[in-house]
Amino acid sequence: MSKYILRRILLTIPVILGILVVTFVIARSIPGDPCRSALGERATEAACNAFNARMGLDKPIVVQLGIYMREILLKGDFGDSIRYSRPVSQMIIERLPVTLELGFSALFIAILVGVPMGVISAVRRNSAVDVATMVGANIGVSMPVYWLGLMLAYVFAILLKDTPFWLAPTGRLTAGVIPDAFYQVWGLGLTRGTTLYMFADFVSNFVFFNAIITGQWDVLVDAFRHMILPAIALSTIPLSIIARITRSSMLDVLGREYVRAARAKGVAENLVIMKHALRNALLPVITVIGIQVGTLFAGAVLTETTFGLSGVGRALFDAITGRDFPIIQGFTVVVAMGYVIVNLLVDISYAYIDPRIRLR
Amino acid sequence: MKKLSTLFALLVAFSLVLAACGSGGTAVQDEFSALAEFEGLKLDAGSCDYGGKVLSIEAVDELTVVFTLCKPDPAFEAKIAFTPFGIQPQEHLARTGGSGELLENPIGTGPYQVAEWDRGNQIVYTRFDDYWGESNGASTVTLRWLTEGAARLQELQAGTADYVSNISPSDYATVQNDPNLQILYHQNPNVFYIGFTNTASPYDNVDVRRAIALGIDYQRIVDNFYPDGSEVASHFTPCAIPNGCEGESWYEFDAEAGRALLAEAGYPDGFTTRLYYRDVFRVYLPEPARVATEIQAQLQENLGITVEVVPMESGEFIAASTSGELTDGMHLLGWGADYPHVTNFMDFHFGANNPQFGNAHAEIYGPLQEASSIADVATAAPLYAEANNAVKELVPLIPVAHGAAAHAALASLQGAYYPPFGAPQFNFLNNGTDSLVFVQNAEPISLDCADETDGESLTACQQVVETLLEYGKDSGATFPELATSCDANADSTVWTCHLRDGVKFHDGSDFDADDVVASWARGLDASNPYHVGNTGSFDYYGYLWDSFMNVPAE
Repeated sequence: MSKYILRRILLTIPVILGILVVTFVIARSIPGDPCRSALGERATEAACNAFNARMGLDKPIVVQLGIYMREILLKGDFGDSIRYSRPVSQMIIERLPVTLELGFSALFIAILVGVPMGVISAVRRNSAVDVATMVGANIGVSMPVYWLGLMLAYVFAILLKDTPFWLAPTGRLTAGVIPDAFYQVWGLGLTRGTTLYMFADFVSNFVFFNAIITGQWDVLVDAFRHMILPAIALSTIPLSIIARITRSSMLDVLGREYVRAARAKGVAENLVIMKHALRNALLPVITVIGIQVGTLFAGAVLTETTFGLSGVGRALFDAITGRDFPIIQGFTVVVAMGYVIVNLLVDISYAYIDPRIRLR
Repeated sequence: MKKLSTLFALLVAFSLVLAACGSGGTAVQDEFSALAEFEGLKLDAGSCDYGGKVLSIEAVDELTVVFTLCKPDPAFEAKIAFTPFGIQPQEHLARTGGSGELLENPIGTGPYQVAEWDRGNQIVYTRFDDYWGESNGASTVTLRWLTEGAARLQELQAGTADYVSNISPSDYATVQNDPNLQILYHQNPNVFYIGFTNTASPYDNVDVRRAIALGIDYQRIVDNFYPDGSEVASHFTPCAIPNGCEGESWYEFDAEAGRALLAEAGYPDGFTTRLYYRDVFRVYLPEPARVATEIQAQLQENLGITVEVVPMESGEFIAASTSGELTDGMHLLGWGADYPHVTNFMDFHFGANNPQFGNAHAEIYGPLQEASSIADVATAAPLYAEANNAVKELVPLIPVAHGAAAHAALASLQGAYYPPFGAPQFNFLNNGTDSLVFVQNAEPISLDCADETDGESLTACQQVVETLLEYGKDSGATFPELATSCDANADSTVWTCHLRDGVKFHDGSDFDADDVVASWARGLDASNPYHVGNTGSFDYYGYLWDSFMNVPAE
């Protein structure tokens, strides 16, 4: 197993290098130039020339690629944003936790609701419950996240205003609330700019986690109330997919002979479903969940935009619009790494769930 | 070329001469002694050969700064009130090296100071208790941003924001009909126009351009694609700008006359052309794609001209259109005022060296050049009339509309306003609590607004950093801010700004004339060690004052 994992990790290196090169080339193939995006419409040609020279954008693309690869491979430096003059790594530290918190919240809802929905649909095949569930799943897949987000915000933030059910329409936290980072609370005295500080900063940007370990319960509640609506909005599509896959997989398994045998032996129906059928039906469901998790790393542009969350998706979208190459490249690598890690975890989980699978 | 010198040596030498001569009363000597204590900074270009408008800026005493210009600039006061020309302490500029911390922690004299910038989420300001001016604002103000107009409005309706900028035109009625909200119309002068490049057929023929000007139903465009408060353009420059509407009004829609003129020009059956645009929302053109399609339909129906609509990426479009490369078609573009002066509209577009519309017309830029050195509005009026009439005659472009925007606030917010220039000052907004939330379109890029051009950054900076003069709440007129007055000499080439006494920066230091010179030198002098900023472009310094000093040779 360990050899298999090591081999998989080593295989990711050429994949990431390939992604770096491809992203670099594609980003620079987009029409338009970073100068106009950064300096605005009033920028003169002379100003743009000076800007491009300052940023190294006037060099041949091969030279730019060489410099970029050298900085990443030797220093682990993604460079500075063209538009914001800030290290891309710092921006990843700020943005990725938001995306992960949103994504996993949505996935939590999707699994928690989607799997039982699929199981119930399969067990009560062709019943009113089954039809209703599948119709609901189709609606969930079809519903535009943008519209759903606005509707949720309208209902919970405006119609239910001044009731206990009120939820904030946008934002990660209430305006003006800035939680204390755990390293400040604990007085760790980390030096700004060091790797340890950056890691601690990254961890502290997970608002839920940071609030729990520092006992900032009011922040935790506030963060939770702000995350409900975007998580629901983002969960509808994976929830529907998970429900449908679970249903079809369960239907397949429920028709197998060993399930009939279990029932014939007088095993309780709940045990038949949960132990004998569901566990064997989970493989395709886990594959789908893995794909969804990978997707979550790329952020959810529409959800983040609708709910004013500054995550990876929004940052990537803005960077593409603004031709901010370092951000595009840096964030894409992070997203790719996310996919690779998730795929690895999915493969490992197969072995755990299905003992017949032997990883060599 | 640049000399950062002091008066000290000169004054000492002069005092010694006076003493040696045995002349000069005690009063004069005392005055010189007082002066000798102040070592004023001076930014000096040495000559005007570098091509810019500013010859020197000098701190002659602690509370007096003298701007010496290369030529008269009637827009001087309007320009120096613009947020990029805000003043920060010279020590802060030096300590930060003109970048780094300066990008997120500006130190100014304004009513609010930045407490924290929670990147991606919000900027929290706290009230500056030593502010020199009036402050009715909340003790804490949070600036947030949401890109979607609908989401911004929901924040207001939910009661989680007090003021939101730029509501969507489709939401005007919602705000107007909600007793808990107030709508704030915003008349920032702007113009949407159809541009031609006259270096290629058929647009090298003035009759073709005139025919198109006659063949467009302007009112229909405004009625169908613009929000309330917008209007058909009677001139290129909006009438809110003094001298903007001198001269004859633009052509009325007359399809028949247009067709006749097109036939005279040799195109009785029209011709085939292109219409370039970028699909980017601007107040002057809120619905680019739909307006482009409308113009396409109108030209086909009214003049028989077949138009291919070509959307372009924004940056590429700006680069191609402003450099005059779009010779095989028309282009849709516009302009929003940077500062409240007719030169901002006319001189930029119709100057002798602007390639956007092809060959420049002396009939237009001649009177503009003459007018640009006349400070008195009435004296310059006939020249602007001449220039506007020439624009109408030669049709380098077709002014179509002046767009309007609107913002919204809670009805309970006292003092809510949106000025024509700049952004609302938070210290004038009062919701009766200690906390106020203002939501705008986007996150500021940085808070070093000497080197930023986007409105979102300027709004954020304006609360912190102040300029010598400020714009009015309801007009582009200028009023004292850090300067109690700026007086011009007879030909408006020397401006003496008298600074407000007793003003403190947020770091507790005293504001004086050296801070003014240091802040301006940083932006205007390319060789200044603190000319770093965010991108290092300092666009408005180069653009509004024609050139940087000491630009290194390429």
